[in-house]
Amino acid sequence: MSEYNDMGFKVKDCTLITRMAGVKEAMNLRELEERLRVCPDECLFHHFCETVIRPTFDYPDYTNDFALWAGSQLRDKILAERLSVLNPYKCKSVDELRQQILDIFEERLSETDHILWAPKNRAFQFLQAVTVVFETDIRLNRPYDFYEQLPNMSHGSIYYHFIEARRRTKWMVDDFTAWLSEFEIEVKPLIKTLSEIDFYFLTLAELKNTLVTVTTEFFKEAKHEKNIN
Amino acid sequence: MKKTLTDYEKIIGPVAISKLRQVARDLKGASVVHVNSTREGGGVAEILFWMIPLMRELGLDALWEVIEGNAEYFNTTKTFHNGLQGNDVILTDRMIRAYEDTVAGNADRLRPVLQDADFVVIHDPQPAFLHELCPDKSGRWIWRCHIDASHPNRAVWNYLRSKVNNFDASIFSMPDFAHKLDHPQFIIAPSIDPLSDKNIELSDKEIKDTLQNFNIDPNRPILCQISRFDRFKDPIGVIKAFNLLNGSFNAQLVLAGGGATDDPEGAAVLEEVHRAANGNKNIHILMLPPDAHRIINALQRASTIVIQKSLQEGFGLTVTEAMWKCKPVIGGNTGGIRLQVHNHHTGFLVDTPEGAALRIRKLLYQPDVISKIGQTAKEFVKENYLCNRHLREYLTLMLGLRKGLANHLIAG
Repeated sequence: MSEYNDMGFKVKDCTLITRMAGVKEAMNLRELEERLRVCPDECLFHHFCETVIRPTFDYPDYTNDFALWAGSQLRDKILAERLSVLNPYKCKSVDELRQQILDIFEERLSETDHILWAPKNRAFQFLQAVTVVFETDIRLNRPYDFYEQLPNMSHGSIYYHFIEARRRTKWMVDDFTAWLSEFEIEVKPLIKTLSEIDFYFLTLAELKNTLVTVTTEFFKEAKHEKNIN
Repeated sequence: MKKTLTDYEKIIGPVAISKLRQVARDLKGASVVHVNSTREGGGVAEILFWMIPLMRELGLDALWEVIEGNAEYFNTTKTFHNGLQGNDVILTDRMIRAYEDTVAGNADRLRPVLQDADFVVIHDPQPAFLHELCPDKSGRWIWRCHIDASHPNRAVWNYLRSKVNNFDASIFSMPDFAHKLDHPQFIIAPSIDPLSDKNIELSDKEIKDTLQNFNIDPNRPILCQISRFDRFKDPIGVIKAFNLLNGSFNAQLVLAGGGATDDPEGAAVLEEVHRAANGNKNIHILMLPPDAHRIINALQRASTIVIQKSLQEGFGLTVTEAMWKCKPVIGGNTGGIRLQVHNHHTGFLVDTPEGAALRIRKLLYQPDVISKIGQTAKEFVKENYLCNRHLREYLTLMLGLRKGLANHLIAG
């Protein structure tokens, strides 16, 4: 699913539509562990990677839905912290991610002498989502357009091109990097800076600000030195 | 008055309209038949009232059909409704016969249009049996459950499950309301129509006149809960919270609702509410007719703070309505209120009358916080709970059923 061609980089936007994953709800850690073993890959991806695109205001205490539920409903801070520090984008496959989560669950179960339960009506519901992709009016033809248009991109666009792309593309890189790599050597420092952004622990608003900041800095310097556009 | 996409564009902006047009592009010409049990009154009719014209404007051939039935049929479907909500009901063979006979009678009339439709959306249980009665159907059938069916009566659910399980998809308002069925179950939250009588902008004069009609002082803070007189809405808890203010801020409380006269429990709750108010002139208890949309709109707009202190709630569209009118909401920590009310951002979630009193005092003491929260609340509704998002998700679901439910769906 290439986002660019001779016509330039066509910036997309996206939303999610969620559905039940077909896995029974979980009321405690033992049930969560059992269900996690069998839930679809898409469900794992949704609860670990799509948390960021859901509407929220707070800087969430934890970075994924399992950790959020463990913290807020099971009131198990230790479990929540261990789950939260897992970065799914460092895993080579969903299976590897699943195994890491199961290890954490098993470790926690072995440490506790009683099973913590969620309150009534606060079960963990297993969901998955379809990413719905939309066209936007934004086109990028040269690297400088990236700098100019970033502030105009929606959070959906940032999510789709910078985060979700890693699931979609063969080399697991973001769309901006893949596109910038087609240009001359001078944008390599920007590509390197983009690759160093620890995006998993940022909200989409923070991520967008970070992208705007690093891109602005790069083009300011580059313009000063070599007049890149 | 017919509302067009151009009317909505003024409120939601061109990007949101563009997304609708993109999803609808591949559905152009598709025939969609919605079936429910009433053309007037109730949330489903309110939704279809705006959804059908917008679907048509987007190029779909949308129709709205209504099941016709007698009192026995509607008593049975009321039993279904109450049973799905978890009430202790008795479903007899006679009731099932009355239900099936009525739907069969309607099927004779509706079969040609339903069997030819590309998509049939059956709203709630009332028309669900139609699926079985249209053996030569060619399109996809979707069951839309608007009810909080999280803890249904087993007899009612077992019967209805046998009627809806063979649909192609179902839609629930929240994950907690869903049930395991042999087809994909989508989660689509409800929404409000910003151009409906309940939500449209009103003139200052209309708001002022409404207050005057009910002897409410426009110059003093107004706290308001709009709800049926129902114990789950905790009107007594709201009065308790109001009394805990001890007259500070010179505030007034408005409890406005309707529908109690033909409901024995509603009448009893209303009586309890009057007793709890104990003749306090600062507490206004208003019984409103079912079509008092503009009055409700005016009361919400005139309010300083809106309260929805439910102990149990489905989605809580009165919360959405208040937030759309830039009001901070003090809401019960339950159901869909938890999705909408975010502490310090769009209002406050509370578990007790004391918690409600505390948050009311805090807000009344800080009027600048009231306006800041109100603005955020409106933006939040604009992004997430207006009818364009609702319609877009319906169209996306139809497109997904047509194209296949992959991880990605390219609109347009």
